[in-house]
Amino acid sequence: MLITTVAMMAAGAVFVEAASRRPMAGPEDELPDGEGKKILLSSCTSCHELTEVTKFRGYYNRDQWRDIVVTMMEYGAPVDSKQVEVLADYLAANLGKR
Amino acid sequence: MIRAIGRSLLLAGLVCCASTATAQVRIVQTNSGGDNIHLIDPATNAIVGEVTGVPINHGAAAAPDGRRLYFSSEAEQTLHVVDGKTLKTVKSIPLSGRPNNISISPDGRRVYVGIVSAPGAVDVIDTTSMERVRSIATKGGIHNVYVTPDGTHLVAGSIAGRLMTVIDAKTDEPVWTLFSEGVRPIAFEVGPDRSTKRLFVQLSEIHGFAVVDFKQRKEVARIMLPNDIPAEKVDKGPFNGSPSHGIGVAPDGQTLWVTSRPNARVYVYSLPDLTLLPGPIDLGGRPDWVTFTPDSKLIYIATENTDTVHAIDVTARKEVARIKVGKSPKRNITMVAK
Repeated sequence: MLITTVAMMAAGAVFVEAASRRPMAGPEDELPDGEGKKILLSSCTSCHELTEVTKFRGYYNRDQWRDIVVTMMEYGAPVDSKQVEVLADYLAANLGKR
Repeated sequence: MIRAIGRSLLLAGLVCCASTATAQVRIVQTNSGGDNIHLIDPATNAIVGEVTGVPINHGAAAAPDGRRLYFSSEAEQTLHVVDGKTLKTVKSIPLSGRPNNISISPDGRRVYVGIVSAPGAVDVIDTTSMERVRSIATKGGIHNVYVTPDGTHLVAGSIAGRLMTVIDAKTDEPVWTLFSEGVRPIAFEVGPDRSTKRLFVQLSEIHGFAVVDFKQRKEVARIMLPNDIPAEKVDKGPFNGSPSHGIGVAPDGQTLWVTSRPNARVYVYSLPDLTLLPGPIDLGGRPDWVTFTPDSKLIYIATENTDTVHAIDVTARKEVARIKVGKSPKRNITMVAK
């Protein structure tokens, strides 16, 4: 009985340790892969946390997301004119108004 | 005669004490990652009120008598008019675009809203009709808009336009501009008549602030914050392009308080000489906006990445309380309800 309990505790400890080694799920993990995500992670998070984007989930239509992307370009975000449309599409599809 | 003077003094004393006793001071703390705003009582440093239903709230302003509060909602692109007693929204006013910060005229008749969407504007809200009555066109989206303490001018800062625009509050016409850098928070130093003497202006990517002589309409100095902590303890960000994004002159005009995100500190300068005072205060997070109690005894500083507001004794320059608030607290103001 004691041996079984100790073995279960040891197995539990191994499981906990393995789980703790796994990286914590961040806001980026909630977003599907795609070209838009690559632009989002490379161009936006150099200036601010991703939560500054995901906090707007469900509020904006595509035009409003595009407006934000254009504003950020004016702030200096490294996004070219082709990427604007890709990023606006991605944000509208995954964080857009429902 | 002596009795009459005595009566006058007594009456004056009663009016003074009654006015002090009935004035209720609240620190109004927005939470930029949520839909709620917290009201803190500086006498106890406890949260004593909450406004809800203002998603992704950005700017805050209070009527001079405290009967109303105003909040901009980035998510809804509206200005919420909130009753100062019930803390409920009484009207939600559509804006011309996505808002950032707001300001109110000293007489409480107008609220100005910085519109950050291109091409940029300052929306003007009539607080009597609770309608948007006009939009003042600006060069570049507006991040922060201020009314000068004497009410004569608006000062609008644009990050995208890399410009500060000073607007005549009577005509709503721009009168002069300055800078070719993104303009962030601004603090005002005033003379005895409340007219503006100097502006202390935080700028994009600058770990410090510019000093602007308001009458001369030019930058007269630029002061960088110290690099006074070990390199391994410096926060590497990201800082939204603004390593220093919180600045305020105490109401008594004696000190200027400037926050540093990389150093997680607030620095204090004496005024008018701008001498750095010893003993910066460690905040343990990325500090953002600041606001003071009217008696200049306390300053409140939001650290957005710890969801905390720090109350600091201005004279002792010591932290006296840490108050947990909502998600990502940024802008804050002081409300005096009479």
